[in-house]
Amino acid sequence: MTKYILRRILGWALMIVLATNLTYFLASSFLDPRANYLQRRPPVPEFAVNANLTRFNLNDQEPLLHRWWDWISAIVVHWNWGASPEGASVNDQVATRIWVSAEFVLGATVLTTLIGVALGVFTASRQYKASDRVLQQVSVVTLNIPTPVMALAAVVAGIALNNALGRTVLFVSGSGSVGTQGFLHGLLDGLQHLVLPTVTLVVTGYAGYHFLQRALLLDNIGADYVRTARAKGLTKATAIRRHALPTSIIPVATSVAFSIPGIFTGAVIAETIFGWEGMGRYFVTTISKNDIHGAVAVAAFGAVVTAIGAVLSDVVVGALDPRVRVS
Amino acid sequence: MPTTPAVTRSTVPSDSHLRGTPLLRVEDLKVSFPSEAGTVDAVRGVSFELHPGRTLGIVGESGSGKSVTALSVMGLLPDSARVSGSIRLLDRELVGLTDRQLSSVRGNDIAMVFQDPLTSLTPVHSIGKQLVEAIQVHQDVGKIRAWERGAELLDLVGIPNPAVLMKSYPHELSGGMRQRVVIALAIANDPQVIIADEPTTALDVTIQAQVLELLKKAQAETGAAVIIVTHDLGLVAGMADDVMVMYAGRPVERATVDELFHHPRMPYTLGLLGAVPRPDDRSGAPLVPIAGHPPLLIDLPDRCPFAARCPVALDKCLDNEPALLEVHAGHGAACVRSNEIVDGAIDGAPVFPLPEIPPGVMANVPREQRNSVLVVEDLTRGFPLTKGAVLKRRIGTVHAVSGVSFDIRAGETLAIVGESGCGKTTTLLSIMDLAKDAGGRIEFEGIDLSTANRRATRELRRRLQIVFQDPMGALDPRFTVSEIISEPIRAFDLAPAREIDGRVAELMDLVGLDPAHVDRFPGAFSGGQRQRIGIARALASEPSLLVLDEPVSALDVSIQAGVINLLERVQHHLGLSYLFVSHDLSVVRHLADRVAVMYLGRFVEYGDVDQVFGSPVHPYTEALLSAVPVPDPAVERSRRRILLSGDLPRPTEQQTGCPFASRCPLKPTLSQEKQQRCTTVSPQLEETADGVDHRYACLHR
Repeated sequence: MTKYILRRILGWALMIVLATNLTYFLASSFLDPRANYLQRRPPVPEFAVNANLTRFNLNDQEPLLHRWWDWISAIVVHWNWGASPEGASVNDQVATRIWVSAEFVLGATVLTTLIGVALGVFTASRQYKASDRVLQQVSVVTLNIPTPVMALAAVVAGIALNNALGRTVLFVSGSGSVGTQGFLHGLLDGLQHLVLPTVTLVVTGYAGYHFLQRALLLDNIGADYVRTARAKGLTKATAIRRHALPTSIIPVATSVAFSIPGIFTGAVIAETIFGWEGMGRYFVTTISKNDIHGAVAVAAFGAVVTAIGAVLSDVVVGALDPRVRVS
Repeated sequence: MPTTPAVTRSTVPSDSHLRGTPLLRVEDLKVSFPSEAGTVDAVRGVSFELHPGRTLGIVGESGSGKSVTALSVMGLLPDSARVSGSIRLLDRELVGLTDRQLSSVRGNDIAMVFQDPLTSLTPVHSIGKQLVEAIQVHQDVGKIRAWERGAELLDLVGIPNPAVLMKSYPHELSGGMRQRVVIALAIANDPQVIIADEPTTALDVTIQAQVLELLKKAQAETGAAVIIVTHDLGLVAGMADDVMVMYAGRPVERATVDELFHHPRMPYTLGLLGAVPRPDDRSGAPLVPIAGHPPLLIDLPDRCPFAARCPVALDKCLDNEPALLEVHAGHGAACVRSNEIVDGAIDGAPVFPLPEIPPGVMANVPREQRNSVLVVEDLTRGFPLTKGAVLKRRIGTVHAVSGVSFDIRAGETLAIVGESGCGKTTTLLSIMDLAKDAGGRIEFEGIDLSTANRRATRELRRRLQIVFQDPMGALDPRFTVSEIISEPIRAFDLAPAREIDGRVAELMDLVGLDPAHVDRFPGAFSGGQRQRIGIARALASEPSLLVLDEPVSALDVSIQAGVINLLERVQHHLGLSYLFVSHDLSVVRHLADRVAVMYLGRFVEYGDVDQVFGSPVHPYTEALLSAVPVPDPAVERSRRRILLSGDLPRPTEQQTGCPFASRCPLKPTLSQEKQQRCTTVSPQLEETADGVDHRYACLHR
């Protein structure tokens, strides 16, 4: 199994290198950093534009392969991912934003999965009973709430709470207050900022796992081996938990693992509304500002997270299902 | 020859009902399910008693309510089921208990063995974990002790290397092994009642014999009472003390096994017994199908539910539903005419008259003078075993068929029998493929396939047709019957457009379907009728050879008899040849003229069906034949079963020597020297005597 995982990791590493380089060529042919300077008022003289672009290795008058070689050598030798057309370091941007994003989405992802799976199991065991129908209806509604609507509702609710309590308990914007000192204070401050975005992401996201888990479990509740388990003397609830759940959770685990990259770079709307400077907003900004190196770095990051998700799902499925364990 | 004597059943007098308090007493059990068409009354008043150490067989066709009865005793019906009546275990009432209360009974007092061993074990838990769970649910023992006890149980059910097997997962075990594990689970807590629901239906005959023997052993070990639910009358004859025949949700006849098989009093029972082919019957008399289909169990009118299919129904049968009344002590039947029925006849006229099948057009032509339709010589087919995801390396070969030769003459039926995985289907598909790449030579109607051009190949396809096992899957659900049957006629341009409708009607009439139903879809027909559509489709292109791949194994016995008779009638009428593949030796005995017994891709015995079945020579054929249950309790009791050990070996290695050597019951009785020959010399098919159509491949017979 270890050997198999190592082989998979190697395969994914190659994939990441390939995808990143391909993105570099794509981004270089579609994004035009020169345009950033041409819009300047007063106009910047061409030699100055060229000098700037050349300094950041973005000059389209140089051969693409030259630029690519400089770019890739800088990464390999110095781990330097280049700069934006304005000269800001991509490394600096990504380094802070990864942690902001992680803070923003990881807690929400864990909660989304737990709540979704738990509701799926609960409702599947009570198929067509009142509780099942009510919870399904609720999930149908939450699934259809657009993120901005939910985010604004959360903001309004947060402000109402703060007003009612007479002090700021939940922050509605930003990832942290300026000037917070000490670890405990920092943690508390972070949590205060995190509550509303997390609620938004969980409410709009859990229903997918609820429906998936419910459907998968219902397929397995009727399985012969669950009947065997009940025939041994297990109550229905125990038989479902011990025999139907382990088999039906496998596709959910795979789905969660592969959704992580999407969550990291896809929470643009929520990040924008709550004013968090995460990877999602960076992704949009780099593209709109012709930031070739930034866009490629985001793509590389996405590839890495996808690889981590895929390997994780291999490990989890292998742990859950003896049939796919490879020697 | 090491034979295991059949475990003799306790010779309890037939009036056992009078003895002591019953272990389990079911009274007026009724189960219904809501459905979109209305309430389905699946069980409509079942009563029986079960005494310690006795075995009750519940027999019936699909939909008769036998499995629902078993599941209600276990309390494992779906939540939507409505149950009334009484099920008492000693003095404890089980109907109306909650799931939690019932869970202390299930597995502890009443245990169950299910039909399909491939799906009845949880795939993601080890065998050991599942056994330990079963033990710890009811017994207060530590994990280590439970693990040891689990290994003991595996040992008890005849699993080699129990300590290793405890750590295995279900997918690593064969079907027979898994059913042993299921039985081990069932007897883990010494239950008083074991319910076996079609315990061997999914297994091969030799494995079935092992499992049945094991069930008897488990019963002897635990002293439990057993309920066997099955459609197989042969199995009941061999296992049960008492039998209850169910029809349309009610018991229609109940008696001790001898009484029921030898003096049935209800026309339905008579019909069932007449509809089953017997492996030991050489008369070739036609089977007796029961006309029509079981009724839908929705809003049944108050009359005998069997009356519509009963050849001796009277007007009074429609007055009300007859109750199960005692004909004499210990024998009940639900029929107003049960007192008139003596030895299957009323006033000397049989209740089910034998259907007439006219003699075949080829009947008077000796085999030597008939043309060969299909000649297969040294057919060999292997499949590569590969490893690696991108660059596939060949790491071995599955030898599916190795060196098989046979011929089929006009108007005769050759059957290939063998257990699953023996290569019979591959043989058949290689012929259907008209495969040029298969090793060996295939000659069809005098044309060698390897030299046939496209035109000739197309003509061969027309002359060679197949009928599949699963009548549901083989017909396109979006085609009408007319489209299905006429497709080959159009494809081969066999008739002008205006004559096609007439041709379709003619074919439907030939296979016993109402030509008025041509515009219906397959979904509107029952399984037996669908198989008839499949046969009509195959006949539409006027073939000379029909390949039949388990054509009746998916059908209930009473329906199966009709399809078998149809196949015989069609063959006699059209002079067709059949290549027939089956694992059911009774059907083979009935339908085939010649038979080939296949093991690991080779023929081990081959010849005239009466020769091979009547005086088998090869130890494998002997074992196979002895494993088939005969629907006659007297015969079953006196039979000696040859139990084969283990499963079919994997066909991945090229065998040296005899392929059967690893399981052969004859080999251990031989001298060292002879055993040596078994593993080094590959036996060839040899004739038994001059002029007798019977060959076998064994070095020491």
